[in-house]
Amino acid sequence: MAVNRAVETAPYVSALYTTVDRKKIIDALSKLEVINNDEGLIPAFNVFVNQMPARFWTSFSERLTRKVGPDLVEAAEWLLVNAAQECGYHTGHGIITSDEWNAIVAPMVTRVPEDVLHGAFAVFTAWGWAKSEVVELIPNERMVVHAYDYYEADVVRYGERSRPAAFMVRGVCAAFMDLAYGGPYDPTGQTGLRTFKCVQTKGIECGDEYGEFVVTRA
Amino acid sequence: MTTMRLSDGLVLKRNYDPRSSRQSINGEQYVLHCHHFATLYTQLADDCGMLDGKKLMAEVAEDTFCDILRDYYAEHQVTGIPERVLVAEEYYAAMGLGLMKIRCAGPETGEVELLASHIDQGWVKKWGQREEPVNFVTGGFVAGAFSAIFDRAPRTYEVRETRSIVAGADTSKFEVSAS
Repeated sequence: MAVNRAVETAPYVSALYTTVDRKKIIDALSKLEVINNDEGLIPAFNVFVNQMPARFWTSFSERLTRKVGPDLVEAAEWLLVNAAQECGYHTGHGIITSDEWNAIVAPMVTRVPEDVLHGAFAVFTAWGWAKSEVVELIPNERMVVHAYDYYEADVVRYGERSRPAAFMVRGVCAAFMDLAYGGPYDPTGQTGLRTFKCVQTKGIECGDEYGEFVVTRA
Repeated sequence: MTTMRLSDGLVLKRNYDPRSSRQSINGEQYVLHCHHFATLYTQLADDCGMLDGKKLMAEVAEDTFCDILRDYYAEHQVTGIPERVLVAEEYYAAMGLGLMKIRCAGPETGEVELLASHIDQGWVKKWGQREEPVNFVTGGFVAGAFSAIFDRAPRTYEVRETRSIVAGADTSKFEVSAS
């Protein structure tokens, strides 16, 4: 996987070049163990973390979006995406200010926030959310992410889904752009959050080779 | 792969597959999420009255955790009720969901107490206290755990949350009865 696969003449190509070493980040952070404290909680990155079976989340979103009916399916999907966007915004900020980030990723960052974005997707990959990378980036305006494997695609084991279902990846992609270009981090989420939105244009669950996520200004 | 044994109960075998970039524990894919994600999903379930989202979320939890605990008991030959209870409690903690104590358990009824709760404390951290229970995930977990512990089918047990950390109590309490 290379980050410089965009057409060489494209105006956005420079933002794809990065000093961030994805492989090194993934190698280091994929081995990080998350262990609960004596209270059965995992306080980290300024949030409470949980590590649940992926199928719990996908079963809930699948059953919910299938049962609400056609009139409400978009609203239900938006709420699922929104959950991920808030999660990605707050936890993402916790991650990019964490000791782990400062030890492993921060020394590779030479251009802010573009390198931070590339690093964030390496972390996103290492921790098993989605094997993903930025393939197009127009700073402060637009980002395209490709995900070559992600747990939300597992909702389809045979055939092709008529609507894409990677609500978590959608939300987190938008959140990372919020963090990069949405202004100073706002712990209340009232200003920096939801300055970007994400549309899923391809999905493994829909029969495509990869998921494609297009993030633009909200 | 790393293997971790917690006290005398749960064994967790963690693995990262570099080809797919997926994390697994005991062969099951796991993902990290935060209390924002968990509480927003919970809020969605709570708001979704037209199809009883609370029940839907509890049933998803029941199905998921009943499967996982049942498989674990079979693979590790955990046959005694006290050992099964311990595994369920430690598994709950390993997921970061909190400190659960199954105070009593029989094939017909049971009582479960939460001394710490990811969902309740996450909800309070995000939005503050509220009177009504929010921990539908744990209600489902308890139903699934009882089914696995007593080798019963899913939907055998009804679980009611009768006291809640989110409402300001020191601990949450769940009462279990066979339906």
